[in-house]
Amino acid sequence: MDQVLVSLALNFFSADQINAFMSDPRSVATLVGALVAISGALLGTFLFLRQMSLTTDAISHTILLGIVVMFLVMTAGFGLEPDMSSPLLILGAAAAGLLTVMLTETIQRTGLVKADAALGLAFPLLFAISIILVSRYADNVHLDVDSVTVGEIGIAWANTRSVCLEGCESVIITPDSPQAEVARVCANCVAENISPRSPSAVFVENCSNCGTYTAAQAYANGLSETTPTLVFLPKAALTMGIITLINLLFVGLLYKELKLATFDAALARALGLRPGLLHYALMALVSVTAVGAFDAVGAILVVAFFIVPPATAYLLTQRLSRMLLLGALFGALGAYTGYDLARGNLLGLVDMNRVLGWLDGVVGLGGYTTWNVSISASMVMMMFVFLLLAWVFAPRQGLIAGMIRRRSQAVRFTDQIVLRHVANHQGHADESIELAVNTLHEHFRWSASRLGWTLRRLRALNLVHIEDGLVRLTERGTNAVMSLD
Amino acid sequence: MNTKTAPTALEINDLTVSYHSKPALWDIDLSIPEGVMAAIIGPNGAGKSTLIKAVLNLIPRAAGEARFFGLSYQQARNRIGYVPQRGSVDWDFPTSVLDVVMMGLYGKLGWIKRPGKAEREKALGALSQVGLVDFAEHQIGQLSGGQQQRTFLARALVQEADLYFMDEPFAAVDAVTERAIVDILQALRTNGKTVVVVHHDLQTVTDYFDYVALLNVEMIASGTTEAAFTEDNLKRAYGGRVAFLTHQEV
Amino acid sequence: MAILRGRFNSERAAWGAGLGAVLAFILILTVAGASGVTFDHTLRTVTMGGALLGLVTGVLGSFAVLRRQSLLGDALSHAALPGVVIAFIVQGRALSALLIGAAIASLTAMAFISALTRTTKIKQDAAQGITLAAWFAFGLILLSYVQGRPDAGQAGLDKFIFGQAAALVQSDVLLIVGVGALVCLIVALFWKEFKLLTFDPEFAAANGFPVRFLDSLLSSLIVAAIVLGLQLAGVILMVGLLIAPAVAARQWTQSLGVMVLLSGAFGAFAGSTGAVLSGVDVNMPTGPLMIVAACAVVLVSVLFAPGRGIVWTVMSRRRERQAVGRPSLGGVQPVMVKRSADDGQ
Repeated sequence: MDQVLVSLALNFFSADQINAFMSDPRSVATLVGALVAISGALLGTFLFLRQMSLTTDAISHTILLGIVVMFLVMTAGFGLEPDMSSPLLILGAAAAGLLTVMLTETIQRTGLVKADAALGLAFPLLFAISIILVSRYADNVHLDVDSVTVGEIGIAWANTRSVCLEGCESVIITPDSPQAEVARVCANCVAENISPRSPSAVFVENCSNCGTYTAAQAYANGLSETTPTLVFLPKAALTMGIITLINLLFVGLLYKELKLATFDAALARALGLRPGLLHYALMALVSVTAVGAFDAVGAILVVAFFIVPPATAYLLTQRLSRMLLLGALFGALGAYTGYDLARGNLLGLVDMNRVLGWLDGVVGLGGYTTWNVSISASMVMMMFVFLLLAWVFAPRQGLIAGMIRRRSQAVRFTDQIVLRHVANHQGHADESIELAVNTLHEHFRWSASRLGWTLRRLRALNLVHIEDGLVRLTERGTNAVMSLD
Repeated sequence: MNTKTAPTALEINDLTVSYHSKPALWDIDLSIPEGVMAAIIGPNGAGKSTLIKAVLNLIPRAAGEARFFGLSYQQARNRIGYVPQRGSVDWDFPTSVLDVVMMGLYGKLGWIKRPGKAEREKALGALSQVGLVDFAEHQIGQLSGGQQQRTFLARALVQEADLYFMDEPFAAVDAVTERAIVDILQALRTNGKTVVVVHHDLQTVTDYFDYVALLNVEMIASGTTEAAFTEDNLKRAYGGRVAFLTHQEV
Repeated sequence: MAILRGRFNSERAAWGAGLGAVLAFILILTVAGASGVTFDHTLRTVTMGGALLGLVTGVLGSFAVLRRQSLLGDALSHAALPGVVIAFIVQGRALSALLIGAAIASLTAMAFISALTRTTKIKQDAAQGITLAAWFAFGLILLSYVQGRPDAGQAGLDKFIFGQAAALVQSDVLLIVGVGALVCLIVALFWKEFKLLTFDPEFAAANGFPVRFLDSLLSSLIVAAIVLGLQLAGVILMVGLLIAPAVAARQWTQSLGVMVLLSGAFGAFAGSTGAVLSGVDVNMPTGPLMIVAACAVVLVSVLFAPGRGIVWTVMSRRRERQAVGRPSLGGVQPVMVKRSADDGQ
């Protein structure tokens, strides 16, 4: 898989460029963060629309159980030593995610517990079991809880795998090879406590550097002349890259089915599209993505990458395709600007170290004014900032747009109240009472000034005129009276 | 403005309620005398429930006011009973029928005070009025639709009000329950109470009600059933989408 | 046709359940003692603290569950982190400071959630998820700042995540007693108001009760329970302590008052059992054990509660089929009544 990705990348960049990029912590952190964000947005959009955002949160907690169980099985059962990007662990995590969903549904199906309470029982239970297992059996192990819950995307660049491009032949050294270092050693001297000069000493030939060397090892040991061309890929980037690819394929190929199943599950079922299966597939991918992202952003923040960018996109568009795109965009943007924020630079506008300095002056921080904070948390904060901006400024759903719209609605409504009232009573016997300018405000239980404003506006628009102390409609006014159908 | 010698039970003037920028109720004038059973009818979306809610200050209004026996809502609150539309309640809530009926007295008790023996007696009395005394200890989810409706009716009856508002009390209720409820309401009227009902079934208007208001965002017509419940008015209220069958055809 | 009375004496079942919890606790105490656990001062304090905290979360959890706000509790517990960190910066490890900081953070989160849902089309669950993540992220930023300071000490992210029941001292327990007593007092005072508000808020409004105020009050009490529960079980598990006792108690009774009391009892059981069991193995954190205990109670309740429990329903359906000779109604408790003129049946 990594070979595929690398050959793909080599079409655009040289090996040196890739290595330069991948050894820069900033680039890798941004890349991994962006990949998590894109995966999150792709899947999260559908979760958001199905109102399953909190299920995502639950899953991000319970996949720990899958990881722990798999981990124990692999170490205790088979003596392996997996790390966080091992595919079996990822599989275990996916299983745990599905288990959460199924457990919740089972509890719900008893009819004795409501949906939200069922979820709130399932995931704490599974998480509690995993903690108990960890403390009993896996205490001294890499499963460092802090890193699981918080991740550390800042060091992702250091944990790499190398992919060889050229000069990749492995080198095999046998005792007959010219580079072999063969020596004669005493096989039984130590065991029998005799000296090498003793007649009963047995000598064997020992090749100290025999064996199979990969190209990189061979070069490092001076056994080969050609330098292999290597590309170093951070494992986190690799894992997330593959996962993002899978998510892209899933959403791309099954777009129509996902869309229908999200908006009208009953119809989807009637058309034979198996929305239930789709649902479980989606959940499995969510679990897989969450595990892949664990190393980078940690368990608790993962959910942010799934919810916040899609919510931002939701405020800006009504079309599903655009929502997916914007979600991915805002997620990636959040990753990019988040790294800057962690290093003290908020959107290129504010230097956070100065902010701390100011705070120190105001409330007293004991002089500790260095800003150097969690990168993944900063990424989430930036995504939240974008959400806030959308909340306020979105063209249709934003707060400002809403205030403007409500004002104009209120004004128009107020106008219509007066216009209608005049239309209803005009030409009737009671018009001298109902339409008298001086008492009109009493009919509506308005203040006199409110009516004054309205009448002024209506007269300026030439919709009414005042005649003999009574309000009357003009011809324009008669046309302006809204029909109620 | 209308001037009357005796206060009516309900007096609504120029009531307007907006929903976003569209009107839910326009310039409503309505006057309901004491001691009648009045129906508010109209097509879906006509604003019937909205009228009740606006009058009871449950939703804000853009203009107009309502007066009860000549008093404001705050002043007359103890004389008003309300049976909302059935449906938005959690039927799995751990509460019994008697408990629900006693909730009708919470307003009268005021803050902090707990319901005691006297309240329990009143609640049982209301339950016997609606024929549900045997179900007093049942959890409300165990009841049929008709019985649930009668429970909420009892909750209003226990308030011993002079003016009752009911929002579609006969919706999704079987004929026997409907008859039972109508009997209770007519007994109320006989005792001089006023009952205002949002009603959906045109067939039964003349049988049950002596006062009617036809509503479709605006007040189309109101008055005694003989005067106001006419073919003409119905056509105007329902926009021509109503068919008439004479007694011979039925 | 026989009259099958569909009702049963709900109080009796609930009493039985409460008694069962007490007996189970005594059993666990005995087993723990037999396994060599010494009930020293620390363990006693932790057990007492656990019982009291469990009581409060159980009582208020009933309202949270009935108001369908179970997961709101989860969001608010995550949202407490920045408050805890700021309180730590300002005041150090004092429990009272941490509680106040957590409460303020959770209340701001609650306000933001309702503002977001009110002004946009974003639904409740997404708003909760967004707030959860944003507040928690902010807390992490503050935390990483704190940990960069030379005077950091263990600011205790792990305590926030896993609870610190084991670190409770006498003064902490006294504080918990105080806060818990106040909370329970308010619940008792406003009992009928909270009951009406939860069951039928529209009717409450129509009867002159200030629904917004009561709603805020009850939500604040739930926040108080959340903040206390955080100390016990940590941020991720806390919601289980809020929900499980209430869900279990619901199965045993049809009366709200009994449900709340039983829920408190179950909560106390879970809290104290978790503490006792953690004494068995020093490595074992108390929070997860409390959750397991609470979920065990739920399991027993869901299976065996008379009238609602699965075992009971299955058996009664079988009995009915034999007695009457035809299939019974669905999961609904069978109610057959004498036909009379004024019944709608």
